[in-house]
Amino acid sequence: MALTITNLTKQYNTQKTALTNYSININKGVLGLLGPNGAGKSTLMKIIATISKPSVGTLLLDGVDIVQKPDTIRKVLGYLPQDFGVYPNLNAYEFLEYIAAMKGIGGKGLRQRIDLLLEGVNLTADAKRPIGTYSGGMKQRIGIAQALLNDPKVLIFDEPTVGLDPEERMRFRQLISDLANDCIIILSSHIVSDIDSIADEVAIMQDGKLITHAPQYDIIKQAEGRIFEVLLDNNALNQFKNQYNVINTARQADRIKVRYIDTKGNVAPESIPVTATLEDAYLFLTQKNG
Amino acid sequence: MQYLYNIIKADYLQRTRSYSFLITLAVTVFMAYSFVPPDTASYTTLSALGYKGVYNSAWVGYVSGIMTSFMLSFYGFLLVNSGIKKDIETEVGLIIATTPVTNFKYLLSKQLSNYLVLLTITGITFIVSIAVFLVRGTDQPFILGNFVFPYLFFAIPALFVVAALAVTAEVFLGKRSILQFIIYFLLFGICMAFINEKGGSDTGVFDPFGLSLMTKSITQHINTHFNEDIKSVSFGFIFNGHKTFKLFAWEGLNWTPIFIFSRLLWIGFGLGLIYISSLFFHRFDFKQAVTIKKKKLQSASAVSATEAGQLIDPMRISRSVLPALSFNYGIYPLIKTEFLLLIRQGNKWLWLLNAALWVAMFVAPFKYAYSYLLPVLLFLQVTRWSELVTKEKTNRIHYFAYASYKPLQRMLPAQIMAGILLAISLSLPVIIRSISTSNLYAVIGLLNGAVLIVLLAVALGILTGGKKLFEVFFFLLTYAVINQVPFADYLGSLPDHHAPFFIWIVLMMNLTLTVVLFIARRYQIRHL
Repeated sequence: MALTITNLTKQYNTQKTALTNYSININKGVLGLLGPNGAGKSTLMKIIATISKPSVGTLLLDGVDIVQKPDTIRKVLGYLPQDFGVYPNLNAYEFLEYIAAMKGIGGKGLRQRIDLLLEGVNLTADAKRPIGTYSGGMKQRIGIAQALLNDPKVLIFDEPTVGLDPEERMRFRQLISDLANDCIIILSSHIVSDIDSIADEVAIMQDGKLITHAPQYDIIKQAEGRIFEVLLDNNALNQFKNQYNVINTARQADRIKVRYIDTKGNVAPESIPVTATLEDAYLFLTQKNG
Repeated sequence: MQYLYNIIKADYLQRTRSYSFLITLAVTVFMAYSFVPPDTASYTTLSALGYKGVYNSAWVGYVSGIMTSFMLSFYGFLLVNSGIKKDIETEVGLIIATTPVTNFKYLLSKQLSNYLVLLTITGITFIVSIAVFLVRGTDQPFILGNFVFPYLFFAIPALFVVAALAVTAEVFLGKRSILQFIIYFLLFGICMAFINEKGGSDTGVFDPFGLSLMTKSITQHINTHFNEDIKSVSFGFIFNGHKTFKLFAWEGLNWTPIFIFSRLLWIGFGLGLIYISSLFFHRFDFKQAVTIKKKKLQSASAVSATEAGQLIDPMRISRSVLPALSFNYGIYPLIKTEFLLLIRQGNKWLWLLNAALWVAMFVAPFKYAYSYLLPVLLFLQVTRWSELVTKEKTNRIHYFAYASYKPLQRMLPAQIMAGILLAISLSLPVIIRSISTSNLYAVIGLLNGAVLIVLLAVALGILTGGKKLFEVFFFLLTYAVINQVPFADYLGSLPDHHAPFFIWIVLMMNLTLTVVLFIARRYQIRHL
């Protein structure tokens, strides 16, 4: 299964262009989408999910144009939007049966499938009470269950770990890794650690454009030799920030350990080079192209 | 004061920047134009036993002012009674609750914003009334005061109270929209009955709409000049065929200081309502409102999650564990769930009222069941149908719905069918009685009407993205049906409408609506 996106542009009006001439090939495995707010990640995912039409460009799923024939992908699509809701008066069973009906799934195995999915997201005990009484994390888990109802071949997760606690996030990542063997998973998250632990490939977006798309290792390589750490006095931090792109800071006794990007070949005295991470590479590339 | 102004401004802009408000304004222009009907019209808006005023400044200005005051008080409540609800749904209320703004100031800002919305509509009718005078006033002189004063002393104070009542209803009755409507219209009915019975008072102090003063002045004028003994004047859209009226020249009212002062009292009454409401306002803290049953459920949930000790279990969701998929592209499961959602929407107690009306339709005289009980019973479902296609967006389910398999061919028809199923189920007593008397036209008319009202709800929901316009429209339609207005008779209850021509007209309307709503939805599902 392969999704080929060619010269995609989405223009909302004359002033606002969400995506510009965007092209990418997505194959089986996990593609992590990274980018600052307004980069066009959600727009791209909405277009792939067929709920938004591109202004220009083609999207082919195994050679079939899904802009013209959206039902081709809808049959095999699992979609977890960023700010989805639920019908508060339905319980988990009724809600999942409803989503199953929307997706065109039925038969005798449906109830068993729903039972297993509810067990999998640990909602069995609460499955018969209205979803309106669920906590944020529980709603997020019901969202994950609905995305998996139709044995999807294309899975789109937009900020899926919002509302999940750290242990749930870890389990969710494991779930994604298990599912990635025979389907396309597109995962957008602001939490870089969500992506670096599971994404086979990473696409970094900025201002509606694709900055880079490569395996994680290759992306990290682009920042190698650019990331440094240095220990500073407390009162020197503000001045340092004016000169360098600081990634993060950590208090250590009476000093501060500062991790920064050197883009100008102007390394601060007493700095030591460190191994780049995906987060470093992401910040390096977005600042370089910003 | 500045921040109060900013809250009112933001609230007002939020409400008025919508297609439904634009359509409401367009309907207002039409209604305001029809307040002063041409001589050839088959209706009148102010009738005094065969007498009608000459279209001078006073008649046009006062009739427009009084009709605006009366009609907008009647349906304006529906238009504005969701200001606090919106803050709950968008969770803006939680932010407001953490600010220093007091309950009184917050509710006052909501009331003033309601009032501004109603005043905007009033402003339009005012302008249209002058335009109508210029069109229909023949050679009568234009006197601005005859237009300004009725609006100033009738509409402006009355709408202030309506705006306050909308806030009060939201504070005390929360999300129970239908209960709010019922209580408001009961109050409205009681108020009108009081005005009609007692004539308010000689001074008109207790009449928020100013109807009694005008009635008294007109009847006195006619009785004096034409030696009649007329006791009352009828307001509203009165259909009476092409009747010939005797004309009289009425020059307006003499405003008394006590009447003008009483308008300030009505405004004070509105402020008093807001103050009392502020003492009971929940300030977006709903913990107190949680029922014992809900508390039990919540505590059970907390225990179950904790006891389980684990959360997502990837091993149980793996493909090898899940049973094989079988596909079912039929729409029956969708209809079933949509019907379930319709039934569960709103308060359970309302079903008691529905059931009582449903049974009453079997035993009441057929004419009353058909012309009065059924339209009222159908109107009581207004919030169910108005949410039929808007609930996806309200509940943010539209991502799933629009990305589902063939949403236009499966999802939308399922929603429409569920709505029609409910309408027909509620109409069954009248349908069965019509069948038993072999009244085929009535049966077809009822089915046509049931379909029409659902298609209207769906079409207006899709086109405006909200439910308000349908709710107001359905209310006015029901009012017109109960008043036997011929063109509003969507259920075909009038004997003249038991004819093929009428059935074809409604059928054509249904087909047109179907085409429009499918085209609009087709666009909508691909343009999020």
